[in-house]
Amino acid sequence: MTLSRRAGVYMILVGVLVLMLSPFLWLGITSFKAPSELRAVPIHWWPHEPSLDNFRQALTRIDYLSYARNSLVIAGLYSVLITLSSAWAGFGFARLNAPGKPVVFGVLLSTMMMPQVITLIPTYLLFSKAGLVNTYMPWVLWGLAGAPYLIFLFRQFFANMPKELEEAAIVDGCGQVRIFWRIFLPQSWPVIATSMIMSFTWAWGDYLAPALLLDDDRTTLAVKLANGYATPNGTPLNNLVAAGAVMYVVPVLVLFLIMQRGFVSGVATSGMK
Amino acid sequence: MSTEQLSRSVRGARASVEARRPAGRPGRRRASLRTRRAWAFYLFSGPWILGFLTLTVFPLGYALWLSFTNSDGLSPRTEFVGLANYREVFSDPDTMTSLARTGVFTAVTVPLSLVAGLLLAVLVNQPIRARGLFRTLLYLPAVVPPVGAALTFKMIFDRDSGSANGVLDLLGVDGVSWLVDPYAHWVLIMLTLWAVGNVMIISLAGLQDIPREVLDAARMDGANAWQTFTRITVPLLSPVLFFQVITGVIAALQSFAPLLISLNSTPAGVTAVPQDNYLYMIHVFAQTFANGRYGYASALLWVLFAIIIVITLLIFRLSKGAVFYSFEPEKAKKTPRTIGSAR
Repeated sequence: MTLSRRAGVYMILVGVLVLMLSPFLWLGITSFKAPSELRAVPIHWWPHEPSLDNFRQALTRIDYLSYARNSLVIAGLYSVLITLSSAWAGFGFARLNAPGKPVVFGVLLSTMMMPQVITLIPTYLLFSKAGLVNTYMPWVLWGLAGAPYLIFLFRQFFANMPKELEEAAIVDGCGQVRIFWRIFLPQSWPVIATSMIMSFTWAWGDYLAPALLLDDDRTTLAVKLANGYATPNGTPLNNLVAAGAVMYVVPVLVLFLIMQRGFVSGVATSGMK
Repeated sequence: MSTEQLSRSVRGARASVEARRPAGRPGRRRASLRTRRAWAFYLFSGPWILGFLTLTVFPLGYALWLSFTNSDGLSPRTEFVGLANYREVFSDPDTMTSLARTGVFTAVTVPLSLVAGLLLAVLVNQPIRARGLFRTLLYLPAVVPPVGAALTFKMIFDRDSGSANGVLDLLGVDGVSWLVDPYAHWVLIMLTLWAVGNVMIISLAGLQDIPREVLDAARMDGANAWQTFTRITVPLLSPVLFFQVITGVIAALQSFAPLLISLNSTPAGVTAVPQDNYLYMIHVFAQTFANGRYGYASALLWVLFAIIIVITLLIFRLSKGAVFYSFEPEKAKKTPRTIGSAR
């Protein structure tokens, strides 16, 4: 590659990068500004008296920690269950044969394109009839059912494992459940990690389901952040919103930076099928 | 066929021969083993099948039933109204304008993020220094939860304290109220494009799967960079791009992001969404939660569902011949390299 072309690539990339990262910067700056600075004319590009006061207030003005706990419980419950149930189903699709399997697999693949938002509203109506509103049961049920996309991920992984593994186990008289539990599942750590990370961040970030299904005191951080910091007449307190959002987003970003591989291999595999 | 593939298929053939060998067992026991395996398959896929039936098929069926009634969820006198809701869908001006707006939103954001994501993928696939870092940082915004992203954009485009108006001020232009008409839909589009890292990462995985030899051969035949890109890279990448068009369109058609950047971000607060951002799904929320018209909202949902199915089939149909499946299925299965890899 010639020097000028290389320079061109760098210039575009750096330009795009500045544009893409500037929202983070502005969120961070806003979170350190005093309320009076938000009204400054011309605007303050930098907090003149940076303080952690916004963070302190963001934690106390709403019961931040208990909403964070709600988010954590829902996301934790959901990600563990959905990972196990998806691995369970993925094993069936990868290693077992039965009449009707191609049809079931075809349905599985096509449900990956299922418009989730559309099914959520009637699901909400049904859950409210069944008295499951304002409980965490919906996430348990969704978790137990598994996600087509994670099932596919596990299937791909299990399908590539050598046949000798289970043949030896069958000769030893192992049942399929034990083969799955003792041999296949322990081998699939990379996929388990990917699946946990993806489903956890999804549930942590999801707005719609908790907004519809949970009352104010049991809801998640995502919902409370969107409407929790405002004056009684509804004007948003942007400095507190910013501080709250920083504390909400940073853990996800840190998780991503630590576990990049898990994030990316999942996203990339989804596009490669 | 490369030697690697060849040896893999030889290995596969040998394994399947071994599997088929009776191994000295009487035939009847083998048959019973097969039946037990069939049961086992349904034991393993059962939870998902059950979940799919109860949590997806049943709600959709319930919505279909509701769509023929005047249900409001409260009054016990739910009556069957035939096709009245569907007739209203097609005569309701709000439905038609929101549908048109959603169409425009889809037609703008899907191609833009596809092209931008592909270009970024090509750039971070160049042999340059620190490209792992570029990949990571460009993907970072795509990791931000939707609410976090929406709140961040509300900060940037705040009338008084936002950096967008700050920049305009530096340029000597008067600031505007970004979060209301006629500017709110630009904020929505920018918010959507901020997650372009998703397209970049998937395209990058596709780019890395293109065999080097093919690109080298093209170069040896005298193709320049642009020709190689348009004649080799894009066709080989077409299944990946095609998949992203489909998922992108489905996501855009059911987008409810305007709710998150509107001034009152609650499902019941949909009335605060500016006119220009009043997408189809926002209309559905308004009918469901602000007006309590479950029957009519269900009809709206089913119309959107039908539209999504038709458009998906249409894209499949139109792309026939344009999408080029060259890879052995085996090849696409392997886990792609990560963004931090040293290759």
